[in-house]
Amino acid sequence: MSRYLLGRAAQSVLAVFGVMTIVFVIMRLSGDPTLLLVPEGATREQIDALRAQLGFDRPIAVQYADYLWTLGRLDLGQSVVQRLPVWRIVGERIPYTAWLASTALAFSVGIGIPVGVATAVWRGTLVERALMPLVLVGQSMPTFWSGILLIMLFGVGLGWLPTSGADDWRAVIMPAVALGGLSMATFARITRTAVMEELGKDYVRAIRAKGVAQPVVVIRHVLRNGAVPIVTIAALEIANLLAGAVIVETVFAWPGMGQLAVQSIQARDFLVVQAIVLLVSVSYVLLNFAADMLYGVIDPRIRLRGGPR
Amino acid sequence: MSLGAAALAQVKDTLSVDLPGQPATLDPHIQWDTDSYHVYRNIFDNLITRDPSGKIVPQVASAWTYRTPTEIEFTIRTDIKFHDGSALTPEDVVFSVKRITDPAFKSPQLTQFNSIIDARVAGPDKVLLVTEKPYPVLLAQLVKLSIVPKAHVEKVGAEKFNLEPMGSGPYKFAGWQRGVRVTLEANDAYWRGKPAIRTVTFQNVADEATRIANLKSGRADITRAISPDQAQALKSEARLKLLPVPTERVGFLFINAQWGPGTDLRVRRAIAHAIDRKLIVDALYGGFATPVDVVLTPANFGYVSGIPSYPFDPVRARALVKEAGAEGAEVVFGTSPAYDQRLVQALQQMLQEVGLKVTIRMTDHPTFLRRRQGNPDEAGSISTGLWSCGCQDADGVINPLFRTGSTWAKYSNPKFDAAIDAARATIDDAERLKHYADALRILYEDVPGVGMFQYHAIYASRREVQWQPTAGESFAVFDMKWQN
Repeated sequence: MSRYLLGRAAQSVLAVFGVMTIVFVIMRLSGDPTLLLVPEGATREQIDALRAQLGFDRPIAVQYADYLWTLGRLDLGQSVVQRLPVWRIVGERIPYTAWLASTALAFSVGIGIPVGVATAVWRGTLVERALMPLVLVGQSMPTFWSGILLIMLFGVGLGWLPTSGADDWRAVIMPAVALGGLSMATFARITRTAVMEELGKDYVRAIRAKGVAQPVVVIRHVLRNGAVPIVTIAALEIANLLAGAVIVETVFAWPGMGQLAVQSIQARDFLVVQAIVLLVSVSYVLLNFAADMLYGVIDPRIRLRGGPR
Repeated sequence: MSLGAAALAQVKDTLSVDLPGQPATLDPHIQWDTDSYHVYRNIFDNLITRDPSGKIVPQVASAWTYRTPTEIEFTIRTDIKFHDGSALTPEDVVFSVKRITDPAFKSPQLTQFNSIIDARVAGPDKVLLVTEKPYPVLLAQLVKLSIVPKAHVEKVGAEKFNLEPMGSGPYKFAGWQRGVRVTLEANDAYWRGKPAIRTVTFQNVADEATRIANLKSGRADITRAISPDQAQALKSEARLKLLPVPTERVGFLFINAQWGPGTDLRVRRAIAHAIDRKLIVDALYGGFATPVDVVLTPANFGYVSGIPSYPFDPVRARALVKEAGAEGAEVVFGTSPAYDQRLVQALQQMLQEVGLKVTIRMTDHPTFLRRRQGNPDEAGSISTGLWSCGCQDADGVINPLFRTGSTWAKYSNPKFDAAIDAARATIDDAERLKHYADALRILYEDVPGVGMFQYHAIYASRREVQWQPTAGESFAVFDMKWQN
């Protein structure tokens, strides 16, 4: 078990390091922020002078070594655009991203799993026909469009919810629904498939034959056995909700990391982008790791390599 | 935040502003992007400013005189106080100049002020600025110089000052929830009087459709960067109004005279004849632009009317292309997402119709800038630009765009260089205008670029907001008020 853990940890560090390096090099290959910072009429000498002051005239390898050295001292560096420590700029966005992602997750799980179960259990009935369009809409509607429709309906038309911003709990509803829509559809589809597969198995027939009520069969037995694919998807979906809120955050003016990422990429604010990439890749790795650990809990037949037999 | 009938009866005294981006910093010497400037413009006073007609008028400096063509003396008002109650002094002015011109401070605005080689206190209410050579654009540049409090900046340090800026302007900094909003409160001790609007908030709302939804729902009172398409749709909204203003931004087509088909003067003239400015202004900008014949707008000093131009004439253009033997020649149209792609495609079509083969080369913006400012063979044959020097002076436009050796110029004519150098060497306005007329005539002959239109900035607000935007895109909340 511990050998397995060590191996996984090493793999994870390597993956994060790889992502960081790729992003570092690609960002720098496509130009630095100097030209975006200077006034349009600046001369070549003036541009070169500012570039040298900002340190972007050095070879990429030197800049990278410098960056790793900074990171090694547990420092994320200083933003050249905002002139503030990067940890501060990114740190202020994390609570908003966490708030939006957790609400969106609650929405997508809260609706998606029951819909998946219902459409599997009542397959071919009116229930399925009534619920499947919901899944279809969640799956296929682009968020920039569903976001605007929500704003026009609930914000402008009915006036029930704030049209943008992050002032109170009401503000999170529309972005969470727009963001969670796709996840909701994914949870519904995966749950539906998993439940349908389990329902056809012999053990279900045996339990039913014992006279156990249908809800108990589904909740206690079928869902538990069908949980492995759902947990796998959940790990990926949480990571997607954390990292993938770029469009939703732009449409709803939500001050999370997605919005910061877009603005920092446009401004070529390298170190801020780098810090966001670091955070997102670490959360991907951790979530996948957590999912792996959960498999063993859910299904004792799954043993991790190196564990006792 | 719904307004009851009682609240509506009185005039509102808060203002909610939606900006497409959040301010990068509120230290006025670090950034001058439009969104940062919209906010900090209200916290600080500038050394001098422009009135709504664009004329340079006093602000912190009540008067100025040229002692010599390279020395200019400013009289500093003695009745201005910073928000902490301390008086604004000539030392603060000198400190502000030295801070922004210190290369170690790395201000991106350095290039606008580095003609200043010395700044010193020259009396209890006097400041003397010395330039290396006569620099006629200095006053136009100083319009952008915010005065910061020396003692406070030195005490709290750059980072704290950036987070909690303090100036002498009509509004005091009250809070910054980063990524969400900046809040400013009225400065009742302001030397020009009490601001009518008591509290201003600036929200960061990137998406235009959301900004409009915020206006309609009353969440925002005013916003900027409305596109001409949306502006047309907003015309029918009874509760809102549009506030368009012609700016100093000029939409132009750059033509590379040192590489590709554009090396032939006949091809450059053909391109000029092929552009239908009226169609561009009406169809793409819905009238929210003004056609211009030169690469300059009437909002710039140095704009001279009566310079000859190339009228839209596709027949003549086709004949010129044929004469140059350039039929089907490949014209590389460099562009980036920062530019209006509808304009790029319209121009592509117009040039194809006169016999050129136009290939659009789209890259990300920093890459575009690197190539455009690189050697002539990297820069592409043509590209659009939307130029503003922020100084409303021809020196900041045609000089960097076309002078030999400038990073943007892919053209060289010693006569042109001589004309703009002469215009830069004197502080006599009449003489400068004469040199710019010469320079614009040379550009007409040589066509290293074609002026197309003067860009209009479009603000939209609730109907009751009283305000007239200015060509300098200077967002002075002090000049705004609510009217029932």
